[in-house]
Amino acid sequence: MTSRRRFLGGLSAGLCIVTMPSFLAACAKQLPAGAVDLNAAAPNNPFLDWFGVDAATLQRVMSELTQRGADFADLYFQHSRTSSISMEDGLISTASTSIDQGVGLRVVIGDQTGYAFTEELTLEAMLNAARTASAIAKGAPLPAVGAWTFNSAPGQLYAVQKHWSEVAVASKLPMVQALEGYARSLDPRIQKVSVSWWDQDERVLVADLSGKAYTDRRPQTRLWCTCTASDGSQTVSNGANLAGRHGQERYSDEALKELAAQAVDRTTRLFEAVRPPAGEMPVVLAAGASGILLHEAIGHGLEADFNRKGTSIYADKMGESIAPDFVTIVDSGVEPNERGAIAFDDEGKEARSTVLVENGRLASYMHDQISARHYGVEPTGSGRRQSFRHVPMPRMRCTFMEDGPHKHDEIIASVQDGIVAETFTNGQVAIGAGDFTFYIKNGWLIEGGRITAPIKDVNIIGNGPEALSRVTMAADDGKLDTGGWTCGKNGQGVPVSQGLPTVLVSSMTVGGVDA
Amino acid sequence: MLEELQQRAQQAVELAQASGAQGVFAGASRGRSVQFEYRDGHLEKVQESTTRALSLQLYVDRRYSTHSTTDLRPDELKSFVADAVELTRALQPDPHRALPDPALYEGRSAADLDLVDPGLSELTQDERIAWCAEMDEIIRADERVISTTAGVSNGHNLSASVSSNGFSGSHESTSIWMGTEISLRDPEGGRPEASNWIGGPHRSQLQSPRQVAEEALRRATARLGTRKGPTRTGTLVLEPRAGGRLIGHLLRAANARSIQQGRSFWAGKLGQRLFSERLSLIDDPLLPRGLSSRTFDGEGLASKRLPLIEAGLARNVFVDTYYGRKAEMPPTTGGSSNLIFEGGQGDQAHWMAEVGDGVLLTSWLGGNSDATTGDFSFGMRGHPIEGGQIGPAIGEMNVTGNLIDLFSKLVAVGDDGWAYSSTRSPTLVFEGVQFSGA
Repeated sequence: MTSRRRFLGGLSAGLCIVTMPSFLAACAKQLPAGAVDLNAAAPNNPFLDWFGVDAATLQRVMSELTQRGADFADLYFQHSRTSSISMEDGLISTASTSIDQGVGLRVVIGDQTGYAFTEELTLEAMLNAARTASAIAKGAPLPAVGAWTFNSAPGQLYAVQKHWSEVAVASKLPMVQALEGYARSLDPRIQKVSVSWWDQDERVLVADLSGKAYTDRRPQTRLWCTCTASDGSQTVSNGANLAGRHGQERYSDEALKELAAQAVDRTTRLFEAVRPPAGEMPVVLAAGASGILLHEAIGHGLEADFNRKGTSIYADKMGESIAPDFVTIVDSGVEPNERGAIAFDDEGKEARSTVLVENGRLASYMHDQISARHYGVEPTGSGRRQSFRHVPMPRMRCTFMEDGPHKHDEIIASVQDGIVAETFTNGQVAIGAGDFTFYIKNGWLIEGGRITAPIKDVNIIGNGPEALSRVTMAADDGKLDTGGWTCGKNGQGVPVSQGLPTVLVSSMTVGGVDA
Repeated sequence: MLEELQQRAQQAVELAQASGAQGVFAGASRGRSVQFEYRDGHLEKVQESTTRALSLQLYVDRRYSTHSTTDLRPDELKSFVADAVELTRALQPDPHRALPDPALYEGRSAADLDLVDPGLSELTQDERIAWCAEMDEIIRADERVISTTAGVSNGHNLSASVSSNGFSGSHESTSIWMGTEISLRDPEGGRPEASNWIGGPHRSQLQSPRQVAEEALRRATARLGTRKGPTRTGTLVLEPRAGGRLIGHLLRAANARSIQQGRSFWAGKLGQRLFSERLSLIDDPLLPRGLSSRTFDGEGLASKRLPLIEAGLARNVFVDTYYGRKAEMPPTTGGSSNLIFEGGQGDQAHWMAEVGDGVLLTSWLGGNSDATTGDFSFGMRGHPIEGGQIGPAIGEMNVTGNLIDLFSKLVAVGDDGWAYSSTRSPTLVFEGVQFSGA
């Protein structure tokens, strides 16, 4: 009942990681040396065999789907195999596997969408679903797709040595045990350590009305370490996780030790942690996980569907200056091995990097096909969906801020009384009002320009445009968070990543105590 | 259909046994749902779906694992189950892992929980679209509306479960929901939003489209001119529909797993007076037409009313078979169903007048709590209460404290439980609450 909810927002990484000079250098180094994608660029498309469909079937189903007309239409086949293991009280005594497969069928005409899906991949079931989805349209049948062309994702974006469905459970167990052992050995106050392992091998085939079909194989994994510690008078718990579109090679002994150290440090620091004062004060966002600020304060507000409907606080602000000129914010689908990496989006549009804010000015929204058509622009490769059961929407991928002109120490020293926000559990935004929040699990108090006591459990609330205009400093130490974040929108969750250099926001409201 | 699901679950049990599992609990489910979304005068989205799935809990040589699949082709299923049993053998044995005591399957309620409305299948597509259109029209009559989406969704879910040690049961329910979301243009700059959704297993639980739309519009217009709230301590009046989230945090660690893992502020507190004596909270799985009503839980344990808190006394927590064995606590049930408050009086208007001065909380924005210590900090929106009257909207503020402390300062419980959530929270009044804003 508790574990799923607890980690839905993801815990995050902190300052223990060596800071890289720039984002791309940091990311490139995470690529496993000599990694080969065994299934890349196979001449005959393996996915057609895999889903048990052929080009003639695609054609039949697409014709049925567009029998009453369509501006565009697509078939989204998906098969995911998920596996998890957990260790508690020194025993690896629970494992889970699941297989989820099906196809989602979509017809778009004007701004109307007809959608149906089936988990049964027989021709009959697919034709039934196609008829259901087509019912929203009222026009004449479209000509059948003549020939299909198949494009496979090149495979460098998330290359793995071995696909997860081919990795034996026996090879995972020693890693889980090692992580548990490291965490247990680091501090005598640690009472309990639990470890959860999760991996997924996902295959996708998107076929659209123009006869183009795109296939992709997307790995995903996450490893959590959760600790409970007691000093006799107080019991505290916390944890850390490491996530990405990686293979098993990501979990080197060094990485496991680092994860254990993070989990233990974040837990034991809670013994001394206090609640900061309540009210408005300067907030320093530590490099890395603090990218949650961008996700909530501006990212959602720049998803084009909210702007098309006029409901975003950023609607009608394109081209305007909204932050100091050293602020450049990017949402990218091409950061290697990040959770938000996608070679093709879930509408078959090629992934790319989208500059959202360039030198303080609003530069672009994130588009899916519907909004790109509405605005008369190219899609940005941001059309994503949770699964074949869901329609795609404009979504974030990996959102980060480029490095700024300041230094970390200079930023801390400039704050008389305030806080540093370092690790987070979750955030939220009200799109129209622009109010956003994020919850700080670990941080620090700043008194007289110096870091003093650790702090814990405070919610921060601010207003998006106001907070961006109050970004008064940004350092040169940007990095992406290594923890796993899941973004929820209209009931759909998708994996995302985020990053930030050390940033000062001159005033936000801190949910402290004893004003 | 239920018989077919029962057979599918039974076959899965036999398949797993044939592969070497000693204990098996299998569930087969099927669901159908239809959703209409209508935006700014047009039908925008129609979505129809049929889902089916098979799930398994396996006990192999004292080892345990869980599995699910939507690929039910016989050959694939057979190898899926064989792989699952094989994988389980790779794990470590755990002396506490075993199927539930079959005695706990006994005594299942024979009462009709009234969770199926046969009339829903007669509802036409045109009727549902007409409800959307009516909500849309009422809302768009207000010139401040930027955009509004109205929706109706209905569903029918069936499931059957079978275990290798004698459990067999099935569950069927229907649902229908309607509601609307509104975005308004605020002359002062913002674009406040509000939504209002209502529903349940039966059509008779709906309100008229007009009622739903007017309440949504009232909630949206109440947010116009929102100002930043104050930093102060004072009385908090919690609107019924906002109660579910707070109660969710209160009960997040009220279970044997969290207690056994040392991650619960409930640990060692059963039998103690932990909260205000105004607080009596019951988990009631047998509530007729309840959103989470059931006659057995996910392990097959017969569902019973479970008092969690009695006049502030921590009485019971959720205990499943495994953590019950590990923590040496008798099993109750794995998780919550419908949460009911007892002994409340008066509605929100009554308590606002009684309070005189304080803060009315109408919705949350983010925030979280620590299940081990009970510390919390949440973003909130609402209104000041002055002289018993509601003031202009406030937002961009937090409420912060500790859950044990907060619920020990609960001074009043209303009788106006919110019927459109599994947590039927009434108006709740807390004293000495810390707010932070401007």
